[in-house]
Amino acid sequence: MKLFVFAIGGTGSRVLKSMIMLCAAGVRPVDSNGRPLNDVEIVPIIIDPHKSNADLKRTERLLSAYGTIREKLYGKNANANGFFATKISTLKEVVSSSQVPLDDSFIFNLAAVENYKFRDFISYNTMNEPNQALTSLLFADYQLENKMSIGFVGSPNIGSVALNGVKDSNEFKAFANVFADGDRIFFISSIFGGTGAAGFPIIVKNIRQAKNIDAKNKAFLQRAPIGGLTVLPYFSLMESDDKNDKRIDNADFVVKTQSALEYYNNTLTGNGRNAVNAIFYLGDHGHNAPYAYDPGDKRDQHDPAHLIEMVGAMAPFKFLSLSDSELTDLATGEPLPTKAFEYGLEHDSDFIDFSGFGQETRQLIYRPLVKLHLLYIFLRTGLNNIIGQGFTEDSPKITREFTGTQFYRVLTQQFFDSYIEWMTELLHNRRHVTLFNEGEMDMNKAIHKVLTKKGIFGSKKVDNDVFKAEMNKLSRDNNSYGSNPELKLMDLFYTAAEKIITDRYDNIN
Amino acid sequence: MRDKVIFLVIGAVVSVLFWIFRVELYEAVYNVNGFSDQMYNTGAYGSVAAITIAMSWGLAAIYYYVINSVKFDRWYHWLAMLGVASVLTPVVCYIVIANFLEGFDYGTAEFTFAFYNILFTALTFVIASFSMRWWSSNCRHTPIPQ
Repeated sequence: MKLFVFAIGGTGSRVLKSMIMLCAAGVRPVDSNGRPLNDVEIVPIIIDPHKSNADLKRTERLLSAYGTIREKLYGKNANANGFFATKISTLKEVVSSSQVPLDDSFIFNLAAVENYKFRDFISYNTMNEPNQALTSLLFADYQLENKMSIGFVGSPNIGSVALNGVKDSNEFKAFANVFADGDRIFFISSIFGGTGAAGFPIIVKNIRQAKNIDAKNKAFLQRAPIGGLTVLPYFSLMESDDKNDKRIDNADFVVKTQSALEYYNNTLTGNGRNAVNAIFYLGDHGHNAPYAYDPGDKRDQHDPAHLIEMVGAMAPFKFLSLSDSELTDLATGEPLPTKAFEYGLEHDSDFIDFSGFGQETRQLIYRPLVKLHLLYIFLRTGLNNIIGQGFTEDSPKITREFTGTQFYRVLTQQFFDSYIEWMTELLHNRRHVTLFNEGEMDMNKAIHKVLTKKGIFGSKKVDNDVFKAEMNKLSRDNNSYGSNPELKLMDLFYTAAEKIITDRYDNIN
Repeated sequence: MRDKVIFLVIGAVVSVLFWIFRVELYEAVYNVNGFSDQMYNTGAYGSVAAITIAMSWGLAAIYYYVINSVKFDRWYHWLAMLGVASVLTPVVCYIVIANFLEGFDYGTAEFTFAFYNILFTALTFVIASFSMRWWSSNCRHTPIPQ
């Protein structure tokens, strides 16, 4: 099954980044019985005309690193278990070569939009006088003058016009052609900005009205199970240094949200013909730190990761866990009325650790994230001293040269640098997400408020030697890694961590 | 797995051969009139060889399956264990020989023989190590990788 994830706007990119982190940790979609779903392939499609958006670039780099690491571990195989288990592909990778030309990128090509001022895009100057007057009523001057290469600066009325052309793009045609029976679609967008708030309903409309487009699988597409994460305000903005610059105003966030919710209520949810099958509402009003004012042309939107994005990243997994019968009338194939989901923390606090999440969340993310964090510590502090001993000497050998390979460099530098940056941002944002103790490289103390179990001689120990011993045991007579030392390292660690977490850390689930 | 069993069988066979040809081997490295005759006549060679083999295999087994720790999995840890075996076994053998040759005055020869037995101890320890190390979880690559 393919899950096409449309990540729209800045929030889309940031939630997608959190989703990649969860996938890297080995979080996998499960069915209603808790069994991992097989053959799941995620195809992220980032829609944002603001290409220089730092959050978009960070997410794109992370996707690229994920792809490099995963391919080395599992090749093209969609089924895997462990770190980086979920296959994440570009649209081009899932489209057969005979179809329309595409960039091999996760980013939707919006060249038709991003190269223009909005005024030029709608050909304002060639309109007759009454149309110009009407347009001036609908759009403020700064909106008409907006260069769309910086996005729609919180103006969904621009986005709703500009993104209407998405359906004519090669990317959308390719998506429509490759979409098959059994595939699903998920949207990630904010409701209080410009790009996401407008893009979500427009693209859903284009999908539900796919009979008008030239695509071989349009019948499937029209009835596709669609889920959407709609992010309500969860951060605020500082005031602009320029008092006259009011392009984005905190005060508008709630008003825009209310208006958009009303619109979504009428068009996207319920049992209307353009309704989605499931919608996830998420917001965090009142616990947020103001971000620097940036409509897109100040500092390129380098915003810190936030709890909401991390929680939002679980929504696609939840959506995949819903069975077909929960989303679609299996007799007619028509979508069932929209199922709506909200999210609540176990405890309402400014400081969130693993115990702050409900049990379902803990069961989904606790072990995978702990494993990933312990892997980070192990690679930074342990592996170099272990090479040449124990499991590293079993075939396939992990040699000194291994630490110079592209895989190792991408994993330890590109990926784990991003991981630590993500964790640090989550920690220093409000709410403060303290899953692991910042800078702590002692495995016994790394997990916030989770201690090691008591043994006969005091607390049980967790360190690189414990991992080495467990991996030694697992590696002995294990011939399943062929000539893939990368898979060997990651799989041994993942399996060892599973046992060590069970045996040595207090159980918080 | 089959290769490992072959190593074990070879090790066992070599050790048995060492015991069978103990007189020839010991006398090849240390042959002194009188002392060597008494060693042969009293059957001390058999006991010394058996002790050497048993202690080498026993100490190797302790290293690979009792100690079996990631903290002691380097070649120098193994070498230290070989050193222990090479000291301990000749000492035990010296005591056993002294027992066998009670009433004779071969003090220097007994000591020299025990000293030469270090060679056989080290050799049988190496053979034992390479026979049994494959199943050790933490030390199977010690002293040199498989």
